[in-house]
Amino acid sequence: MDRLRPADCLPVLPPRPRFAGARPVTPELIGALGIALLLAILAAGVPIGVGLLLVGLGGLAVMISPEAGLIKLGVVSFEVISKYELGVLPLFLLMAHICFAAGASRDFFDVAARFVGHRRGGLALASIGGCAGFGAISGSSLATVATISSVALPEMRKANYHPGFAAGALAAGGTLGSLIPPSGALIVFGIIAEQSIGKLFAASIVPGASQAVFYMVTIMILCAFNPALGPATARVPWGERIAALRHVVDIFLLILFVIGGLMIGWFTPTEAASVGVVAALLLLAFRGGFSLATIGEALRATLRTAGMIYIVIIGALVFASFVSVSGITEALSGAVTSLHASPIVAILAMTLALLLLGSFLDGVALMLLTTPIFLPIAEQLGYSPIWFGIFLVRTMEIGFVHPPLGLNIYVIQGLAKDLSLGTIFRGVIPFLVADFLHLALLIAFPVLTLWLPGLVAG
Amino acid sequence: QAEYTLTYASPYPPGHPFSRADIAWMKHLEQASGGRIGFRTFWSGSLISSDMSMEEIRHGLVDVGLITPIYARGGAHLLRAQSGFYGGIASIRDQVAVYDCLDARFPEIGQELEGLHVLAAQGGLFPGVLTRNKPVRTLADLKGLRLRAQSDAIDVLRALGADPVNMPMGEVYSALAKGVIDGVVAPADTIKSLHFAEVAHHFTQLRFSRGAYPARAMSDAAWRRLPPDLQGLVGNSRKFWEDVLNTEILASEKAGVDFAAAHKVEMIPFPAAEQHKLDQLYNRYALDQARALGEVGINGEPVFRAAQALIAAGPIACPAPNSGVKP
Amino acid sequence: MDKPEAPTGAAFPEEAISPEEAVLPSHSEATKARGPLAQIAYVLGGAGLLAATTTDSLAVAGRHTGLHLLGSIELVQAAVVLLATSAMLIATMVGGHASVHIVTERLPRPTAARLARVASAVSGVTFLLIALGSAWILSDLWNGHERTELLHLPLRWLRLLWIVFALLIAFQFFRRARASQEPGQ
Ligand code: NA
Ligand code: NA
Repeated sequence: MDRLRPADCLPVLPPRPRFAGARPVTPELIGALGIALLLAILAAGVPIGVGLLLVGLGGLAVMISPEAGLIKLGVVSFEVISKYELGVLPLFLLMAHICFAAGASRDFFDVAARFVGHRRGGLALASIGGCAGFGAISGSSLATVATISSVALPEMRKANYHPGFAAGALAAGGTLGSLIPPSGALIVFGIIAEQSIGKLFAASIVPGASQAVFYMVTIMILCAFNPALGPATARVPWGERIAALRHVVDIFLLILFVIGGLMIGWFTPTEAASVGVVAALLLLAFRGGFSLATIGEALRATLRTAGMIYIVIIGALVFASFVSVSGITEALSGAVTSLHASPIVAILAMTLALLLLGSFLDGVALMLLTTPIFLPIAEQLGYSPIWFGIFLVRTMEIGFVHPPLGLNIYVIQGLAKDLSLGTIFRGVIPFLVADFLHLALLIAFPVLTLWLPGLVAG
Repeated sequence: QAEYTLTYASPYPPGHPFSRADIAWMKHLEQASGGRIGFRTFWSGSLISSDMSMEEIRHGLVDVGLITPIYARGGAHLLRAQSGFYGGIASIRDQVAVYDCLDARFPEIGQELEGLHVLAAQGGLFPGVLTRNKPVRTLADLKGLRLRAQSDAIDVLRALGADPVNMPMGEVYSALAKGVIDGVVAPADTIKSLHFAEVAHHFTQLRFSRGAYPARAMSDAAWRRLPPDLQGLVGNSRKFWEDVLNTEILASEKAGVDFAAAHKVEMIPFPAAEQHKLDQLYNRYALDQARALGEVGINGEPVFRAAQALIAAGPIACPAPNSGVKP
Repeated sequence: MDKPEAPTGAAFPEEAISPEEAVLPSHSEATKARGPLAQIAYVLGGAGLLAATTTDSLAVAGRHTGLHLLGSIELVQAAVVLLATSAMLIATMVGGHASVHIVTERLPRPTAARLARVASAVSGVTFLLIALGSAWILSDLWNGHERTELLHLPLRWLRLLWIVFALLIAFQFFRRARASQEPGQ
């Protein structure tokens, strides 16, 4: 009996894999197993960054050596936490938290509501405007949806808006935060794809603005067919509207200063974060909210969020090394190339993959994971890397709102516990349709994206 | 399937001149070994970084890789500093020859390469000055210009009255476009490769000095995996690799110069007397930097003096290079 | 806060939920971490944030007034190490890591609790491995005088700081793994 090996107990199997000549375990197979293992680990509730790190390390250990894996872990982790360009993300978060503490976000929405509240769905339109405005100071979709919703959702419900409709508009509008510059996702893309961040920001302006327009048109169409979705509020006289503007003059100046200074070249995109923090502190002081307690809370809130992001980035980079060693990149791009599919079909295939991944991955992690795989394919197909960056962020954003797991939906549900997830998801559906139409527009007409950076480049 | 598959990694993308030379070297070895050696490649920093690659190769992350001791922040201070000791040198070939001599003479260089087998050294194009709209015809013209420069040129530029700034190379294009800086200290290939012709209109052909450094290495473990005959083959391929590197680097310079002509970038020759003044100034600060190596326990001055003696003696010939672990 | 005018008809004050609480919708633990370790992390991280802001702003101001701060990038990098390491410890202490809940929230409670314990232990081990890899590199470079290019800031202390924080993060995860074992959790 001692000579009985485990294999002897199993049903008779062919000694080799069925495909003659194939090696039993290829690096690509290890890569695919690694991805499956990652999904399982994440589903078990392991933090996303930790899961990426662990599978990446394990993969490197199996495919190269444990020593190599540990060294890569040491190199990558210190590189990430000491990188100047990544230090920008926490600083933009800090700026948003200070603006929030100063009441800037609420005032911004309030003024917008006075101007359009008397129209059908006017408050929803104002919410989209508020999201776009806040998106111009914040780099993240989640921060935008959280901030604007905390003010706009109660207002809309008070005005008897349909809760699902209101929540859907906010969930979709929040995604404007990650496309409209400054954009954390585009900064990360610029770094890994070695593209000019200034050009990426310029490229995102037309897509970001047209995305907002698409949402507004969606709201208008919905309210035209069903006025009960967003009943009009009392008209505010023009005098009061103009008077209200003075509450947001300082916010407009701040946005103008940061964006204008970037455009003119007073400071670089990386420096803009620090300059923005100082400007936000001045705004806070000007509004009389400057106190140690307020600033302390903004700092603490920033650190809590930044810590989560840093671990995800470290994990994603280690995982990306593993993906690269596994050769899945080459296998995938080889598959796409050998299909001789038209560029449009290939882009549609990528869109599908991004939508799937985007429903459970954080935006930055998704970007780090997919850029090394998809960018070379896209470039081979003749797409500009700048266009591709915008496409990637735009597609990724949709993942924040589509079922089953749009993070923005969970944010809103966190704000309004009485709304069921189903109600919010149903409310999002018309906006998802707008998203797909908008995405198709960007794919069909790359000039929408590339026109502005072309001008900037002179 | 090759008998010995080596992994190769570089922080540069595959289309870069360095990478083209690396690909030529790999093809050369595959042929010369009759297919016994094969390669798997990892480009664009997907596996190794630019400032920690020596450490990553030592620990076996890849078998062969591009190393840049000039970007390492620790453990290679002499290798890094010596590349600034070549004031007055005439060509890339001479840079590599002087490096080989220094390597043979100073065991401290080999100590910094412990655990690595150096497979090629590499020199570099001489940086000139590319300016937006203020042409530089003499050293005096540098006064008041805000220039992005590498760290070894900063003292010299300050002494000449310029305002040197240190910003990531990736931000230089937009900084030039918006006038955040007046120019950049960079070799002529960048006129094309970094699209600088779009934002700068004058290139002054003065020459900041450049030196050579060990640039491609194999891990000790990978070396020991190879049988003696293949070790010999790989060791002997050094000349081939350095030649293709030289060819590719010079071709990128020519491409930059041609591009300048086609895009109305004025090429400004630099007077010999001015260049001589620049070289002397450069060497004065290089000597300071050599002495400052004492802070990290390295006696740099003899290396500096030896490099300058070799350059002054004219055509350079030395015994076989000595870098890294001996077979 | 001294506001010029109250917003029209807000149903609840905006302080009712802060963005970061909303950003992390599915974690149920307290978002405030207390105790001396948390205090140290908040102070270090806050100092890092403020130092990075100040340095970069002064660099910009300096550039426009002709006073050049060469090496400001290196100071920012050092500040970023402080803020990033502290931030990761804080995120761990408040249970603020992003994770997927779609499966775990559908499991029976005891199973989910067991799974959460395993997830915490796995996370702790992962951070021990980070500390190990980082320590290996530090031991290689300890005598190599790793330092920044212009200001010669010694990097070994920053690497050491990261190792210490990685160990503290691992410790927090292990504590969490044990805590959720106790009844009532
Ligand atoms: Na934004
Ligand atoms: Na998502």
